[in-house]
Amino acid sequence: MGSSTNKPELIVNGKRLDGRAFDELRPIKIEAGVLKNADGSAYLEWGKNKIFAAVYGPKEALPKHTGDPEKAVIKCRYSMAPFSSLEEHGRSGPNRRAIEISKVTKEVFENVIMSENFPGTEIDIFIEVVQSDGGTRAAGITAAAVALATSGIPMRDLPYAVSAGKIGEHVIIDLNKIEDNYSDADMPMAISPRTGNVLLLQMDGSLTRDEFKQAVEMVKKAGQTISRIQREALKAPYEKISNKYK
Amino acid sequence: MEIVIPGDMILDKPIHMENTFIEDGKTYAAVLGIFDQEKKTLIPLEGLWYPKHGELVVGIIIEEKLNSYVVDLNAPYKGILVAKYVRDKLSVGDIIEATVKELDETKTVVLMRERKLYGGKIIDVKPSKVPRIIGKNNTMIKQLTEGTKSTIIVGMNGRVWIKGGDIALTTKAILRIQEEAHTSGLTDRIREMLEKSNKEQ
Repeated sequence: MGSSTNKPELIVNGKRLDGRAFDELRPIKIEAGVLKNADGSAYLEWGKNKIFAAVYGPKEALPKHTGDPEKAVIKCRYSMAPFSSLEEHGRSGPNRRAIEISKVTKEVFENVIMSENFPGTEIDIFIEVVQSDGGTRAAGITAAAVALATSGIPMRDLPYAVSAGKIGEHVIIDLNKIEDNYSDADMPMAISPRTGNVLLLQMDGSLTRDEFKQAVEMVKKAGQTISRIQREALKAPYEKISNKYK
Repeated sequence: MEIVIPGDMILDKPIHMENTFIEDGKTYAAVLGIFDQEKKTLIPLEGLWYPKHGELVVGIIIEEKLNSYVVDLNAPYKGILVAKYVRDKLSVGDIIEATVKELDETKTVVLMRERKLYGGKIIDVKPSKVPRIIGKNNTMIKQLTEGTKSTIIVGMNGRVWIKGGDIALTTKAILRIQEEAHTSGLTDRIREMLEKSNKEQ
């Protein structure tokens, strides 16, 4: 955040520190179905972020009192590997930050999973950050959406997430670690692309009304790219086998 | 035939199908699957087994209770066999085939017409690929039995029990069907595979 006194220059010659334009995403790569033991899984590389997402279930809710007789209960655990970051981030197990991200991620998926089909069961989502470079909650949601789709659990949509922010007077998309730490605003958003519903909206710092509108537009535009990558990742393993026998 | 992803609009009119949902008078896919425009069906590529009346399943006894047996079915819900109607004495670890009677209000799968299976081998497959292992009018499974001389019981819950014959070849063939389930001409390729392997022996 902007509170630091020795704030580095984040924009040099009209470009960001890693050479990106203001509305440019980091390169994203997703691989679906990488973990054979899980019911659904995905591996995502988003810039320097490396994230595994795994889905188990629906299975019998345990302990039994956590189950809901009307719908499936969704449980989510976000965690960062102790070696995932250069700084204090994720040095130990579940902390305040990880619990918060687990909660908001769970709420994103409660809105898209058709949980009424599986009463009395639980669906477990695990997001494991192996290497982090800012924007991991957005990347984690994007990866978990792909993992859920590969598990075959019925969903109303395939959500994506990305963060927008502000440096000086510039609104930017997809903040990395250093931008996240020293920018004037950081706003992760998760969106359901079919309906345009906002499933997650958090913000650090401050944006004016116009900047906020601009940021939302940027998120939606970037979302088209992210959605496309998610879809390609889901289709790829099947197309690879189909092409072998054409 | 195209691959659809959850949230994709597949029809612009409301038609009730499995694995889809209807919103604002349009039909959307709810799972990753292949949509057949002519037959108007969405075949899931992945997914769990959801119990239906009359389906054959292969299960393992995991618990003996006073008046019932609890059966593991590789599904979100556990199976139950009422001991009163069970012919042989069963014990924990026994493999059975049974038919689904109903999914009761407490979400347990009530089973009936059980039969104990002796010996053999069990492999777990994806429940969504089971129709392909059986094939249209049982073509695939017939071909497998003829080619390998194994006795095969395919449970709709994604458990396959194999006994006798060339078990290794049967396993290999079933796993290949699972992997290539979404491609066409699979029956022919499996026939070739079985013939080739039988010639070598």
